Amino acid sequence: MSDPSPIAGDFFSLLARHHAPPSRADTSPDAPAQTQATTVFAFHFADGVLMGGDRRATAGNIIVTDRVDKVLELDATSLLAIAGVPATAFEMARVLETSFEYYRRSQLQSLSLPAKVRALARLLRENLPMTMQGVGVVMPLFAGVDQTVSPPAPQIYFYDPLGAQFHAVGYAASGSGAGTIRSILSFQDRYGRPRPTQMDLQQAVQFALRLLMIASEFDSATGGVNPDAHTFATIKVLRGAGVETIAAEKQAELLKA
Amino acid sequence: MTEEPYRWLEAIGNRREYVREQLKGGSPVFAASLRDGILLLGVGAGHSKVFELFDRHALAGLGHPADIEKIRQAAIDAAHLEAFNRAPEDVSLRRLIGFGLSPQLKTNFEQIFSAPFLVEFLLAEVGAEPGQDLIARLHFDGAFQLHTKGAVVAASQPEPETAAQTWLNQMLAGKTDRGETVEVLLQAWWCLTENKSLNEGVPSEAERRDGWRKAANGRTVEIGWLARKGNRRARFEELTLAHLGL
Repeated sequence: MSDPSPIAGDFFSLLARHHAPPSRADTSPDAPAQTQATTVFAFHFADGVLMGGDRRATAGNIIVTDRVDKVLELDATSLLAIAGVPATAFEMARVLETSFEYYRRSQLQSLSLPAKVRALARLLRENLPMTMQGVGVVMPLFAGVDQTVSPPAPQIYFYDPLGAQFHAVGYAASGSGAGTIRSILSFQDRYGRPRPTQMDLQQAVQFALRLLMIASEFDSATGGVNPDAHTFATIKVLRGAGVETIAAEKQAELLKA
Repeated sequence: MTEEPYRWLEAIGNRREYVREQLKGGSPVFAASLRDGILLLGVGAGHSKVFELFDRHALAGLGHPADIEKIRQAAIDAAHLEAFNRAPEDVSLRRLIGFGLSPQLKTNFEQIFSAPFLVEFLLAEVGAEPGQDLIARLHFDGAFQLHTKGAVVAASQPEPETAAQTWLNQMLAGKTDRGETVEVLLQAWWCLTENKSLNEGVPSEAERRDGWRKAANGRTVEIGWLARKGNRRARFEELTLAHLGL
């Protein structure tokens, strides 16, 4: 049989031509406890989109680590927040990161925002067998920049485990602590002074850290924020021009201010 | 014809002559290792000459655009496959050229019944320290030389290329500023394209400055920068003359 026809700039085609597809492992019903549970969220603020997440990974009632980065920079204008089984989610992030950069470098232009959004949906659909077995479910958030408008505008998308993609107008949250976060975001969006879209960076970071503090009070799998123990969140800001990471020191400073 | 060894040698000689003839008039490209990164420069007229390959890797080439494109794609494919199957840190210029591009170019060059690649390349890899930088001069027949410092030139003819490289390494010694470096590279570009000697009787600085500005008018000066340090893995950035104050 001949090799599949290559699609220009498509990293999956390149992998198929070299018989090196991303791993698709079948799982056993006796699979060990999955590392999962989390709180990630994204909301629009005055400068762009803030995406944040706690840093805890759990397996059942065991805390595996409090140092996981769940908000990942895929390229200069794309962020992915992962909720679900990290083994699958991190692999999805790696595939997307290589795929976006491969397209940009080989085709000499960036992949459009709709194409990036669909690329993640495709990975989720391909993960359906794992999702159906209940051992590989991933429900990520994605933020990218729409370059077709002027000025370029950051946008937020969320997904269901089967790969359906939804555009979030104001905010989105995922993971075991998402219910709490969504309630607060909804309240703040409707009655808050300022509303999230009116917040400057300092207000947005303070708000994000407080969201995680509250989420951790209601969800044991959410790591939360503990300034006394110098435990902060992963917070990244996406603007039309690119990504900024808000380091722990800056978070501490902004929280005190 | 090729059954007879001397005929094969003759055919290869003719092929080399043909490629050199076709490359005549090609606009030279440059790479220079500086304190803060590696600068690549080319002056084009419609077709790009400087490209990002991978996180710490870039390419500058002259020749037929379709051939440049084929080699560029092969290099990008190989780098991304390696990075995905192993790790981005495993992508190395030495391996990319030694085990990938060079053998492909050599095989193509020696297949005398197929069209040869009409290309000359510079490939660069920025290291964590200036001493770890690598600039490769890759020829149309697969031959290559590796340089760990200074400026490297790819031109269509060997003698002017060597003269320009020697001159540039004298002129750029101790320079760290990107704007000053680009100014000197463009002077060398003008001398090469105008067949001005860079051995003896080098045109005056005023003449060189004036010369490149006039010659580059209406053409695109492409400047690629591989930063040594940065927050992101991808270190390549496109610069403009205005950005460098030129």
